[in-house]
Amino acid sequence: MCKGISILKARLKQELFDEYELEKRIVARAESEQPELHFMYPDPVVELPVEWDGQTLIMEWGNRGNKESKLPRTGWCRKESLDAGKWRWLKPEPCIIPANFGLEKGVWFHIDEGLEGVVVRDEQDKPHVYMLTQAASVYYENMTRHERMPVLVGQVI
Amino acid sequence: MIAQVSLGSSPLKQPLDNIHAYSILPRMIGHVDADCFYVSAERVRHRHLLGLPVGVLGNHGACIIAKSYEMKASGVGTGVPIWEAAKICPEGIYVKRDFRWYEVLSRKMLDVVKRHSPRVEFYSVDESFFQARSWTAKDASGLQRELIREVGVPVSVGIAPTKTLAKLISDSVKPFGYGVALTESARRELLEGLPVTEITGIAKRSAVKLASHGITTCDQLAAADRAFVRWLLTKRGEDLWWELNGTSVLPINVARPVHKFVSRGGSIGRASSDRQRVAAYVVRNVERLVEALDHYKLVCDQLTLSLLFRDAPERGQRVSLLGSTSGVEPLRQAALWLLPQVWQPPRAAVHYMHVIAGRLWPRWQSQPSLFDQPALRDPQQDTRTAALETVTQQVNASVGRFALRSGMTTPLADVHADPANEYDICDIYGKSCF
Repeated sequence: MCKGISILKARLKQELFDEYELEKRIVARAESEQPELHFMYPDPVVELPVEWDGQTLIMEWGNRGNKESKLPRTGWCRKESLDAGKWRWLKPEPCIIPANFGLEKGVWFHIDEGLEGVVVRDEQDKPHVYMLTQAASVYYENMTRHERMPVLVGQVI
Repeated sequence: MIAQVSLGSSPLKQPLDNIHAYSILPRMIGHVDADCFYVSAERVRHRHLLGLPVGVLGNHGACIIAKSYEMKASGVGTGVPIWEAAKICPEGIYVKRDFRWYEVLSRKMLDVVKRHSPRVEFYSVDESFFQARSWTAKDASGLQRELIREVGVPVSVGIAPTKTLAKLISDSVKPFGYGVALTESARRELLEGLPVTEITGIAKRSAVKLASHGITTCDQLAAADRAFVRWLLTKRGEDLWWELNGTSVLPINVARPVHKFVSRGGSIGRASSDRQRVAAYVVRNVERLVEALDHYKLVCDQLTLSLLFRDAPERGQRVSLLGSTSGVEPLRQAALWLLPQVWQPPRAAVHYMHVIAGRLWPRWQSQPSLFDQPALRDPQQDTRTAALETVTQQVNASVGRFALRSGMTTPLADVHADPANEYDICDIYGKSCF
């Protein structure tokens, strides 16, 4: 799977920082001159950057704790379930989660472009993003010891 | 004198002195060695990895095969499993290896070096030797800067009268350093106190032999009696003795030396006792071997299958073939015949294998076997096999490498699903070393 992502600060527009208070997500890794932003599922505010409908936005990541909501209480969507039509009632729309690094079980792996996701709307018509997952390749499983992996955009791990 | 400099800093620490110490200046040899090449190659296309601790993972995603200096500083070594590396260096970024990309940059580096010299040896994917037309520190740093400007890969450069000395220099000035050893004093300074294991060609066993005679450093080896070194380490050791003492005996190989063996194989990932999966790997490696033999236009008279087990001693066995061949079918049959002979005990878990073609001949020079008479075989079967191999080659040449492969390899669907598995370090042809 993928517990969290990191994206280079330079990839996000300044307006997003003001609107979503992203400054607190900025971290500096080692000696790198390029600050990153971390978006983790266990964060107090669960969000992800999303490229959807021609723009980059920050959206709530899945549904972590709202029991009242009709949305599935998870942050991930199995590609097999999506393909089987189990999410059809939510009218999912494809999106891309831009990212440079992914985190799984303490291992940061490189992401070329981003991850595939779906956007669905809650009762208030607010969009939420779910990260698509698939069965892990042998390589990914060896690397992270997880049997599921995100669906990468134009990249095979 | 050996100089270590960083990009943008001043060149040599000392001026070139005593340039005429050798009565006749020998031909100088340069050695270019990319700094943490796989990581540097990833940084060429992903600039944001610069300054980060980066580890490149091997064929199965389990072990570090190359690491950045930042990751090395945190204590992660080559060969360390990723789950240990992630604990030692939690900020580290792990990248899947991509030998196709590394070859692209390797050949670009080679092109730049070839502009500087008429004689260049493609030693390995990240190293080359060249005949140095000029040998000042400025030349070495100029080449270094040209490579970083045109290819983007930082390298270290050593220039000396011999290959061995040049390589020792480039190793000792890493990262992104250069050095020139022109004089006797510079040579002595380089060798002093340097462990003999730093010399390419002195492995653990030779080092133990030398140590038992009190020789542990390069200067001690260079000062030892030549005949004694030959007695102890054979001609190979004597060659290194000459090289350490500034006399070039190892030539720059502009073409790859003729093969004695061609081998394909390696780790099969998780150790397996599954008959079909191991047999599938054998056939896959035979197909890769045949491709290599075709590339070199060679045929073989012998085939060896070697298996390494997780829980039993390594075993290997050789078989003589019925006539010289590079055909998939006879080599597949031979390898599968060897498999049960070598796989002992039968329940042992295989985790490494090598399929090795031996007694090689140029295809045009191959000697037909007295027993390889068409009358002894089924001519129809021969025709069918030949037709199948031809069609396979044509389809693969048109659609892509291994697009069509033996049905026996279907248990490896997971391996074939990943295009990166189709291109390994040994598929980068022309290197004089591995």
